[in-house]
This record gives sequence, structure tokens and C-alpha cells, in this order.
Amino acid sequence: MAPVLVWLILFLCLLISIVKYTFALILKWSFPGVTVKKDYSYQPMVSVLMPCFNEGKTVYETIESISKSNYPPEKFEVIAQDDCSVDDSFECMLKAQHDFSNIRVTVGRNTVNSGKARSVCNALKLSTAELVISIDSDCIFHPDAIRELAACFSEPKIGSVGGRVGVRNPNESTITAIQTFIYYAAFQVYKVPENWTRSVGCISGCLFAIRRELLLEIEPKIRSRHWFGIPVNQGEDRFLTHQTLLRGYGTYINNDALCWTTVPSTLPNLFKQQLRWRRSIVRDLFYTLRTLPQHVWTLHPNTVLTLVLTPLGALLGLLVVITMMTGNPMAMAGPAPLLLYLGVAAVLGLVIRKYSAKEAVNNPLAFGAYLAWSVVSSLFITTLALCTLDSKDWGTRMKEQEAADDDASGEETAS
Amino acid sequence: MTTPAEKKPPAEAKAPVIQPMLYKSVVTVYRIFAIVTLYAVLGGVLAYGFVMGFYAVNTTWAAPVILSPADDKSLDFTEKLVTSRQTLEEVSVDKKKLDEGIEEMQRHRAALMALEPELQAAIIREKKHNQATGPQLMELDKQKQADNLKTQAVMAQLKEVEARIDKDLASGLITKGDAATQRAALNQAENSYTDSKIGEILLTDSVLEKTTTDTKTLNVLDKQAELISEIAQLDIAISVAQKQIHEDTQQIDRLKQAIATAKQTPYYLSVSGDTTVYFAFVPYDNQKAVFAGAAVYDCYLNMVICKKVGTVKQIFPGEEHATHPIFRTDIRGFLIQMQLDRPESAKSKTVFLDRKPLIF
Repeated sequence: MAPVLVWLILFLCLLISIVKYTFALILKWSFPGVTVKKDYSYQPMVSVLMPCFNEGKTVYETIESISKSNYPPEKFEVIAQDDCSVDDSFECMLKAQHDFSNIRVTVGRNTVNSGKARSVCNALKLSTAELVISIDSDCIFHPDAIRELAACFSEPKIGSVGGRVGVRNPNESTITAIQTFIYYAAFQVYKVPENWTRSVGCISGCLFAIRRELLLEIEPKIRSRHWFGIPVNQGEDRFLTHQTLLRGYGTYINNDALCWTTVPSTLPNLFKQQLRWRRSIVRDLFYTLRTLPQHVWTLHPNTVLTLVLTPLGALLGLLVVITMMTGNPMAMAGPAPLLLYLGVAAVLGLVIRKYSAKEAVNNPLAFGAYLAWSVVSSLFITTLALCTLDSKDWGTRMKEQEAADDDASGEETAS
Repeated sequence: MTTPAEKKPPAEAKAPVIQPMLYKSVVTVYRIFAIVTLYAVLGGVLAYGFVMGFYAVNTTWAAPVILSPADDKSLDFTEKLVTSRQTLEEVSVDKKKLDEGIEEMQRHRAALMALEPELQAAIIREKKHNQATGPQLMELDKQKQADNLKTQAVMAQLKEVEARIDKDLASGLITKGDAATQRAALNQAENSYTDSKIGEILLTDSVLEKTTTDTKTLNVLDKQAELISEIAQLDIAISVAQKQIHEDTQQIDRLKQAIATAKQTPYYLSVSGDTTVYFAFVPYDNQKAVFAGAAVYDCYLNMVICKKVGTVKQIFPGEEHATHPIFRTDIRGFLIQMQLDRPESAKSKTVFLDRKPLIF
């Protein structure tokens, strides 16, 4: 009975996904109302907050790319906050501050390692701008990114806007090729129905714009966020998005605001990143379920559906894989799933090559390996995420330094 | 520049003293649970991998099969067996009838065959007789014709004699009695002549019969032809019947062989026997471990702590298809009959033949 129930739920999830994707494509091609009306004349003061931990020289490149933004230099600043990196990240920040004098760069440093979320909050204290853009310190930004994000805030009910995250290293390995497909499909297709109702469930922390007053309102919640007394340092992007929605604001992804990130190229790094994300998803599900009545009365049904079904799909994947492995272990070994994945890869490969040549994958068939990864992901990452909700590390960025003590206050310095 | 240390949120500062203790307890319990779960998952994954690897390389496993008289294959088998037996009975009855028919036809044929030479002899005898008497009769016929011609001339004179009698009577030369006597003599002479003419014609007919092929002869020949034809028809009928018997005999042999083969299948044993019979499916990859008398081992957790629970009693030759108990793929193999000391082993997912799968 249990396997039948699992398969039934999986079938329903697949059906909903297919309907959602199909609906997304119809919306994308047929309804201009899906996209927000952008006003490029709206150019508020912008603070670009860049928390950083052990990013090394990449942080310099990140600041360099921001310095080339097509946005009035006097109307934006960069606040780089180092979270006690053990490498030369802080020195690179200072060098960037010195080299890119065309923009205002403020460099701050936490006295103890505090995690990304608190680093953003610490950086926020140094900002006075109307609009805050939180970015990842390993990304390269398109010159129009700030302009595109700011233009979306002309719509008063928009609270947070995200950009599209592209992959810088699509052909570094099979793993990066797979992620290129996933990233592209997620932004170009999956988020479209959420964009339509201005209720994107998770805006990527790589490029996250939010109204300052809203962030200030949410900040205490970010700082006090904990799991049975253990500070939660991860998944601030999902948390911020969720809080924006709960406060009655809209969330939106502007695919014209581009940034490029270097995705993990090795399995251990990918595993750590996905584990961090999965923890965030699981936490968010628990939070949603705990306050479900509030969600149902406050949010758009599509938003509630997204907030519940997305993490539920991850948990369900675990049950499906267990059922499959115990019931019919060779089911994944047949040609049908592989052919399906290769078919999707072929289509996506062509689309990416046509519309985003920079991300073109040389060997789209590498996406077939996603079949194996999806089993590993469903089986191990979800389980591990459920069993490590007390974790507070930076995921892929942990090096020699262990996370600081749980009770660290997150003191900071700035220059 | 150094900024002052952050203050803890007011909510946290005001939290009751008991809350941290509660949190700590929850986290401790969670961590214990998480560690146990993760080790269980790790153990499960390792065990799963080991089981997969084990069954990928092991060549001694067999999957016990419980054949129920009500399952599809058994029902199908029973139906076919009943049909074969019914057909066998029908063909046997037909053959018996044909045997009896042939016997009857052969008796009839023998009788006809015995009649045929007698008829032939009679025809020859008659023919010879005719050949001998025909010319004689012809001569006599000629003689008779000559005699009749002479008599005819005499008969012409009788008119005058009759006229004379009338004249003599009228003249009173003779009495009426004399005249009547004389007339009676004349009539008798005329009658004799007529008889003689008839005799001549009959004689001519007899000559014709003796010297030519008449309808009577033809009838006899027709009878002879009918007799020969009837014998030929009987020969054909006997031949056809013999062929049918031959075919029926072959069909009976085939049916008997099929039934005998069917009796050697596990399905027959499962539907016909009063005692419970234990079977197991053996994939072709594992057939080297199978021989009559080979030990059967049943194990805990499918592969460890094994003990001997019986022996292989019989190997069935027919090919069977089954689903791999672990990989769930379709596999080909055959069935064996097991003599089990421990009947519960028939319900195990797998048993092992000839030797223990591991060292214990």
C-alpha cells in the first residue's frame, strides 16, 4: 500500500510539474503581464552588500564587475563584508577598494565568523541606500544588472527582485554542464508562473534586491533565526523571499538582470552546496507547515502551492528512491529514463546555445548523468539535510577554519 | 574601524531560563536520533550494495516457488491434461471401432472372394456346354424346319380329307361317328403340326441362346462385375481404415507420451499429489549447482547463518520464466523439486544449493 501511495503522490507531483511547466511556457510566450513593467528612470540609491568568506581573488573580480555597472556611480555603493576569511579575501577586498575608485567601496569585517545571513545584516548597518542588493562574492555581474533590478521597483508592491544566475564554467566538467541546464530551466521556465503572480518562492542569494525598509523590518528575524537555540546562518535568500511574501509584498525574477556564478565542479563541493540548499528547503517547509493557516489566508494559492510542493517533492524523492531500490532496483537502469533526460538535454542544449551562447554546453548529453545524481541527491542529501538541521557552516566555502562558536555575537569592523 | 558588538534580540534576552535547557534537550535528542539515523542509512546503503553485489556474483541461489492448484499455470496445465486424456479416450474408441469394422469387411471380402471363382467356373462350364450343344441344336433345328415343311405339305392335303369326310357323311358313306372320329384325327394332326412349329421356334431360340451372347449371359457378367467392384470397394475401405488406425495409433502414442511427460512436470505433482511438494526456480546461470541430492540451505537475512534444510529431489527439464527476487528483472531457468525437512524454507525469498553462500 505504501509504495502505491508514494507512486501516486509522485505521479501527482509530476502532473503538477508538467502542468506548471507547460503553463509557464504558455505564459512566457503569450502574456506580457507576466513581466513586470520596468521603469529605467527610477534610479534610487543602491547599496550592494557583498558578504564574503574564503573567496580569495574572486572577490576582486566581483567588485570589478560591479564597478562597470551602467548605473550612476554616485547612486550606488559596494559594502563588502568579510566573515573572518582565512585566505586573502579581505586583502583582495581592500585592493579592489583601492583600485576601483570610480565607485564607493566600503570594506567591513566581522570579528568572529558569523555566517552569511548575519554578514549581510552587518553590512546593512553600513548602508543608507533606499534599495539594497545582496550578492554572492563569487559572481560576476552584467553591467545592466543593478539598473535592471532597480527598474522593477517602480511597481510599488514589489518587495524583492532577483536576477538570473548564469553559469560561468558550463564546460568545466560534467557536473557544471548539468548545473547549467538546471539553472537555465529554473530561471527561464520554472519561475515564470511564480513571476506571473509576483510570488517567486526563492530568489537566489547571488543577486537579491530588496527595499531597505523591508530588509530592516526583517533583519531582527534574520538575526534571531535559530533552530532550537542554534543560530541558522544558511538559506537567508529563501528566508528573505518568504518573509517578503508574508508581509504582503510581491517577489519577482528579472531575467534581464544577469550575474554569473562559478558552480561547483567537483562532487564533494556540489554535495555540500546541495546539502546546504536542501537544509534550507526543509527548514522552509517546516516553517510553512507550522504557519500554514497564515500562508493560506495571506498568500496567493500558487505561492502556497510552490512553498509546499517544492520541498515536499524533495522529501518525496527520498521515498520514491527507497521504494524503487527496494521494490524494483533495475527500474532506473532501463533506457527510458536515460532517453528522457537526454531528450530534455538536447532541447535545452539547443535553446541555451541559441539564447545564451555564453552558457552553451559543449556536450549536452552529459545531462544524462543527472539521472545518477538525482538518485544520490534524493537518497543522501535529503536524509543528511534532515539529520543536520543543527549545522551552521558556509557549505562549499568552509576551508581550514571551523565555524565560530554558536553564541558569537558577530562583531564587525569596517574601513 | 570597529563597530560595537551586536546586542542579542530582545526576545532572546527575555526568554525564560527553562527554554535553553529545553532547546538543549531537544537538540541532544535530535542529534542522537540523527546520528542513529545516519548510521542506519549508511548501514542500509552498505547492506543494500552488498546484497546487490552478492546476488550479481552468486551462482548457487534458487527461489522457492509455491505452486497452488488454483494458480494460472496449474489451471492451464490441468485443463490441458484433462483435454489430452479425453482426446486419448476418443481416439482409442475410434480405433477400436475401426478395428472391428476392418474385421467385418475382411470377412465380407473373403466371402465375396470365395464366390467369385464359383461364378467364373459356372460361366465357363455353361459356355463350354453351349459350345457343345449349340451346333447340335442348330442341326436339329434345321431338321425340324425340314420336318415341318413336309408336315405343312401334308396339312394342305387334310383340307381335302376333311371335305371328303363331309361328302362321305352327306352321302351316307360314313356315319356321323366315323366322321367325328376322322375329324378328331385331323384336328390332332393339325395340333401336332402347331406344336411342331412351336417346337421349331423354341429350338431356334435355344440355338440362338447357345450360339450368341444373350441378355442372360450379360446379366451374369454384370453380377460378376458387381462382385469384383464390391471386392475392390472393400479393399479401399479396408485400406482407408487401416491408414486411419495407423494415424490413430500414432496419435494415441503421442498423447500417451504427452501425458507421460506432463506427469513429469511440477504442475502435475502440485495438482495430483496429496502431499505438499516443494519447488524452486533455478536460473540457468546457477544450473551448475543443481543435481539430484544436492543440499539445500536456507539462511537468515537471505544470505548469512545458513543451515541445511533439505536436498534437491528432482530436476524438471522444461524452461520457466521468473522475476529475479532482488533485481526484479525477467530471467530464464527451470524448476526443481526439493525435499525439505523444514517446510518454512519454502517461503524464503531464496535458498542456496550445494553449498553455503558465505562461509557461515
